[in-house]
Amino acid sequence: MEMLVVVSDLSYRYPDGTAALNGVSFAVAAGERVALLGPTGSGKSTLLQHLNGLLPATAGSVAIAGITVVPSTLRDVRRRVGLVFQDPNDQLFLPTLLEDVAFAPLNDGVPAHEAAHLARETLAELGLAGVEHRAAHHLSGGERRLAALATVLVSRPAVLVLDEPTGDLDARSRRRLVGLLLRREETLLVATHDLGIAESLCRRGVVLHEGRVVADAALGDLLVDRALLERYGLAAPLE
Amino acid sequence: MSFRHVDQYAAVVSPVTRTVPTARLLGTVTLAAGSAALPFGAWMPLAVLFLAVLLIARAARVPARQLFIRTTGPFVLVFLASAGLLVLVPGEPLFTLGVLKVSSQGLERFAFVLGRASVALSAAVILVSTTSFPELLHAFRELRLPHVVTASLGVGYRLLYILVDELERLQRAARSRNAGTGSTTRRRLLVGITAAGLSRAFSRGERTHRAMLARGYAGDVPALFSQSWDRRSTLALVMLVLLVGIVLGGAHILS
Repeated sequence: MEMLVVVSDLSYRYPDGTAALNGVSFAVAAGERVALLGPTGSGKSTLLQHLNGLLPATAGSVAIAGITVVPSTLRDVRRRVGLVFQDPNDQLFLPTLLEDVAFAPLNDGVPAHEAAHLARETLAELGLAGVEHRAAHHLSGGERRLAALATVLVSRPAVLVLDEPTGDLDARSRRRLVGLLLRREETLLVATHDLGIAESLCRRGVVLHEGRVVADAALGDLLVDRALLERYGLAAPLE
Repeated sequence: MSFRHVDQYAAVVSPVTRTVPTARLLGTVTLAAGSAALPFGAWMPLAVLFLAVLLIARAARVPARQLFIRTTGPFVLVFLASAGLLVLVPGEPLFTLGVLKVSSQGLERFAFVLGRASVALSAAVILVSTTSFPELLHAFRELRLPHVVTASLGVGYRLLYILVDELERLQRAARSRNAGTGSTTRRRLLVGITAAGLSRAFSRGERTHRAMLARGYAGDVPALFSQSWDRRSTLALVMLVLLVGIVLGGAHILS
């Protein structure tokens, strides 16, 4: 089976010396959907940023489609990995949605008219046709989340990496997002502490705790292991 | 009036919003430059320009009351900045304010400066009321403003809303705990909220930069739009330039 994402013995320390990741290793096959589970502060977001080369590994390595993430390969890696940040406001920084969605293709050298066409097409795919010329602050929370997704889907990435994708969404918007993600064919890596979302989207779970992988198994098996969920802060202990 | 709704007439279909934003911007510059170039004492030409601005506001469906309210803030600044003319321009003393003597020439010059400012400010208010910020940015780009300026303005515009939202959240959180009831406490609260807001702005900026890098940002925010001029815009702009030209020419001949 072709491994699209390979993380080998990855460690990372923040500049203040805090260890965020300690020898993390796992691999994700093409087309696989993996939930990265763990409580707040377990290192999920830090790990995701390594997949896109936003943070340099202190030790170990990350490879995407056989390309090791190093400064000289960042352009290629970022074209293949679509990273959706936890807060859509971080991702939507231009005056209109169309400009935000066209940002990545333009950076890739796609001509402006073609980038605009791609952006419109992607927004329409996500049910956001008609709001292209609106600013992100005029959208609802759910629309903003979809718009943030559109900003990476427009580049047709091989791996879609989502950081807490449903944190601020109501039930209807969550359903809509899950429905959209289930129809996609990209390899999916979702960091969340929401077990319901993980179960809806993924078949495999990797549990992170204090920067280490403490479990990697079929999600169905993980979710019935009450002791494991309680031990790693993924479920409250029963009274 | 919140700054969020400053462009509320941009969605109104009017002869003004049917022109391209670049034409609107150039029209505003023409009016402002025209009023600034009027020779001192050309009251009649100034009145003609002001009337033209009022007619444009009417065509743009911007109510006179709104125009007045929105002009007031910047007008007060012009008023204060030019108040020195009252006493600095030499001439026949009209009356005294303590040790300061107000001359009739000073009063006239002061009033003329305010008249000029009224034309320019009203034109600017019509522009921002009928043109959304993204459209204005496109107009700046069309006029070949340095890309670094338009890109910074674009990102700044979006971040402004995010930061105001964050400041409002901080303020609500403080108020919900009965903060800021006395004037001293209110001042302290304001300092605290501003400091927290700045700190959040810093981390927000860092996160946004990462999000840009993740999508291939390499130091330049590429432009997406270009707009095409239409005959209507050209005609409207030419008519305005002609009007201002005739008024200016007439004023200089008469003076």
